[in-house]
Amino acid sequence: MSTHYTCDDTETLVAYLYDDIEPGQKDAVARHIATCGRCRDEVAALGGVRHALTAWTPPTPDLRFTVVPESAVSNVVTPDVPAWRRVPVWAQFVAATLALAVGASVANVQVRHDERGWTVSTGWMTPAPAAAAVAAAPAASDDWKVALTAMEQSLRHDIAARPAAGSAAPVAADAETIARVRALIEASEKRQQQELALRLTQFGRDIDLQRRADLVRVEQGIGQLEGRTGAEVARQREAINYLIRAGLRPPQ
Amino acid sequence: MQALTITDEELVARSMDGDVDSFNQLIRRWERPIYALAYRTLGREDDARDVCQETFLRAYRAINGFKGQAKFSSWLYRIALNLCRDWMRRQRRTPVVQMPEDVDISELAAAHGPSESIETLVGRREIGRAVAAAMAKLPEEQRTAILLKEYHGLTFQEIAEMQGCPLSTVKTRLYQGLSVVRRQLEKGGMSAADIRGDAS
Repeated sequence: MSTHYTCDDTETLVAYLYDDIEPGQKDAVARHIATCGRCRDEVAALGGVRHALTAWTPPTPDLRFTVVPESAVSNVVTPDVPAWRRVPVWAQFVAATLALAVGASVANVQVRHDERGWTVSTGWMTPAPAAAAVAAAPAASDDWKVALTAMEQSLRHDIAARPAAGSAAPVAADAETIARVRALIEASEKRQQQELALRLTQFGRDIDLQRRADLVRVEQGIGQLEGRTGAEVARQREAINYLIRAGLRPPQ
Repeated sequence: MQALTITDEELVARSMDGDVDSFNQLIRRWERPIYALAYRTLGREDDARDVCQETFLRAYRAINGFKGQAKFSSWLYRIALNLCRDWMRRQRRTPVVQMPEDVDISELAAAHGPSESIETLVGRREIGRAVAAAMAKLPEEQRTAILLKEYHGLTFQEIAEMQGCPLSTVKTRLYQGLSVVRRQLEKGGMSAADIRGDAS
């Protein structure tokens, strides 16, 4: 390990700066900077930067992170996971199959195989094929037609009946909505007023702090001035005393 | 008081055995330094909080993989720095300068006690702001080296292991980083006396 230090050995200089250095090297740097003004200034400047770095402080939020055991959260529903994803896979499969079957029957899916190959057709407008393999399909489609017609009639009846039954309801609903909107607006206004008051208070406090800082500065200035004036008076008094002493001295 | 005497290594060993409370003690012990590192690296309070939380989450999940070759704190710092790097890469951002807005000078004064005048505190706050701006201009390696050395007291050797570079490189990065910060502060109108804190 070298115990000699030369200028521009920045690695050793940094080690010296952080006092993370071998004792021999430390002595060598100390000896060097005692005689080298440039290195001494460099160490002082970098030490100043280190001091300035301490002024950079992070905020102090309330963190309190905690790991919670899995057993403690077993009854908590995780909001991020959709409900359908929590259903077992087998149940999802059954549901999908049922949906497919219902969809196929509603769409009147027909699969036929003849000498031209496989034929798949959907829809109610196409006449059902007469093939023996799908002989039951027309009967089933008739049932669905009846059901659909009944549903259509029921819906028409409901739609026709609605205006008469619910004529007063929209008025009440509107009044309620207006009341809620008013309440929201009032709450918002109140919040804004509170924020404004808070800002004004903060502003007043900032001004007060600034005023106090200015006062401290002024007091310091006056103190310095007083000190200077006092020193000047003392000097003058000393000079006058000297003149008096000189005047009283007998001529030689 | 007993909790204070338990070492990190003991708490880590207990955490490996499934003791969640021990891991929570480690969190309480290290959440502030990790948050501070993330904040000084990213410059944003919310992001720093997220990174801090994610750091402990990852550490908890990987605690059984911690071999104990390095200190637990160094391991945490490494996780946090990797997360910060990922965050910056993802956001394609450089660190920003954000001084905590909610810090009131009177609160600062209360925290520092009656020994420091308001003027001193205001001055230090200005210096802190200038330092944050200067640090944001540094290359990532230099900034990280300064942060780990200056604020977290890691040895040159520990920083070298964390950054995966020779010891001499760490020292060079520190020297260059400090020199840049010095020039930036001087360029910002701060005298050597201001920087050294002689005015206070």
